[in-house]
Amino acid sequence: MLKFLKQIGDYAKETVQSARYIGQGLAVTFDHMQRRPVTVQYPYEKLIPSERFRGRIHFEFDKCISCEVCVRVCPINLPVVDWEFDKANKKKKLKHYSIDFGVCIFCGNCVEYCPTNCLSMTEEYELSAYDRHELNYDNVALGRLPYKVTDDPMVTPLRELAYLPKGVTDPHDLPSGSRRAGQRPEEIVEQSSGS
Amino acid sequence: MNSGIDLQETFIDSLMGLGIPPGAAKAIWMPLPMFLIIIGATVGVLVVVWLERKISAAAQQRIGPEFAGPLGVLQAVADGIKLVFKEDIVPAKSDSILFTLGPVIVVIPVFLSFLVVPFGQNLVITDLNIGIFLWIALSSIAPIGLLMSGYASNNKYSLLGGLRAAAQSISYELPLALAVLAIAMMSNSLSTIDIVEQQSGYGILGWNVWRQPAGFLIFWISALAECERLPFDLPEAEEELVAGYQTEYSGMKFGLFYIGSYVNLILSSLLFAILYLGGWESPIPIELLGNLLGADETSPWLQVIDAALGITMTGLKAYFLIFLAILLRWTVPRVRIDQLLNLGWKFLLPVGLVNLLLTAGLKLAFPVAFGG
Repeated sequence: MLKFLKQIGDYAKETVQSARYIGQGLAVTFDHMQRRPVTVQYPYEKLIPSERFRGRIHFEFDKCISCEVCVRVCPINLPVVDWEFDKANKKKKLKHYSIDFGVCIFCGNCVEYCPTNCLSMTEEYELSAYDRHELNYDNVALGRLPYKVTDDPMVTPLRELAYLPKGVTDPHDLPSGSRRAGQRPEEIVEQSSGS
Repeated sequence: MNSGIDLQETFIDSLMGLGIPPGAAKAIWMPLPMFLIIIGATVGVLVVVWLERKISAAAQQRIGPEFAGPLGVLQAVADGIKLVFKEDIVPAKSDSILFTLGPVIVVIPVFLSFLVVPFGQNLVITDLNIGIFLWIALSSIAPIGLLMSGYASNNKYSLLGGLRAAAQSISYELPLALAVLAIAMMSNSLSTIDIVEQQSGYGILGWNVWRQPAGFLIFWISALAECERLPFDLPEAEEELVAGYQTEYSGMKFGLFYIGSYVNLILSSLLFAILYLGGWESPIPIELLGNLLGADETSPWLQVIDAALGITMTGLKAYFLIFLAILLRWTVPRVRIDQLLNLGWKFLLPVGLVNLLLTAGLKLAFPVAFGG
């Protein structure tokens, strides 16, 4: 009989405990309702891509020496380098250059290894098209400068988490002049050149 | 006892004044409250869908619907219109009659149950003396429809979902009925009007929540399970069963399930408000306020305010409960089917029986407080 009562008591205790846990959970959910939404409302608000963002690749036609290093370091040999040997100058002459961004994985190896720095990463990420072949950029398309979020009057640019002041997680309604935690790159450069 | 406004009598009297025979006058009156309730329930669904999406969004730090109408209030309307115009697909090799009948059987009892939901002394379609029992009886028809649609879909997920829905509804009907039985015992009546009246007079202190602390928890858990809301949404558990018995449905047949589930939620909240939160009674008794202001109880303006307050109070309580249900949805994880049945049969049922026994004992011991 006593054992049975003890069982009932334990069961009741467990029940109360779990009810309290559910109550705690409800409090957490309720607390979340007062927080500001973290949503970035995309076409109207856009995040500013970070400095190291690996977006669409920019290509400078005149700098290229047609060495094809970009092709060799590419995991799938994606860049198409169309060149011809110019016998008069004894130099390779680049005719066409293209990268298909529908296939590119934006690993950045080509940018890393390009001996003349004619390849560079941009902050452009809105690569959508109705036909995947439209993403096959030729040297003209690759040479276009990226579109900047901060220059667009229709878009509210928002900072990414790493660029917010210490302890702030919401990019909305930041006071003007608020700076990110830590030193800015130019400050680090200044410091190291000064010492 | 002052019975407040009697719209029916006034309406019939005024029609008879125009020279219409009493029978015809009554026949003209009869469809009016029904239409009103159906429209009210449908608009209620739109409101609840909007609330659900907005509160869910807030709980997850999102924004939720925003562009369809001010603050996105028309989002549910847009979704509904989309469903109406969608193609109505009947899957191959399915039982098309049962497939069509399923959602109908699920929805009709839910709407029928609004017959017994009072919004005021006379603001109810029918004051049945078996009111709350009618609701319990009707709510056990729905699983048949669910099982039917699950079986007729010719889809394993649908069948599993239908079976789970049936198992769940049947298991949780018992604790629900036991909780209601304790209430019925205290108010000596099954009529929803009598149940509210028995709680009236003392404002918030007279509500059944204080007399049935275990009962209201049992009722709420069972009601959530009956409505198939999280944490008890096993019949349509997305991660396991695609969408349960709704998997093969599209267009307005799916819309019926959707409406049915939300109307059921509203209905359960309304009945919870009626059974445990004093229905249309305001937390501070209105008679007290009337006496303070020195107004006559039978004065027309007080009665109009009383009726309006009653409807508002019932709605407020119901929507508070819906809010609680939505908050619970984002707090509690889904239970497993064995946990669900364990909770229903091994916990809620015995606790419900003990609660019933205690209520009976207390009723004998303290007939003043527990409605002798």
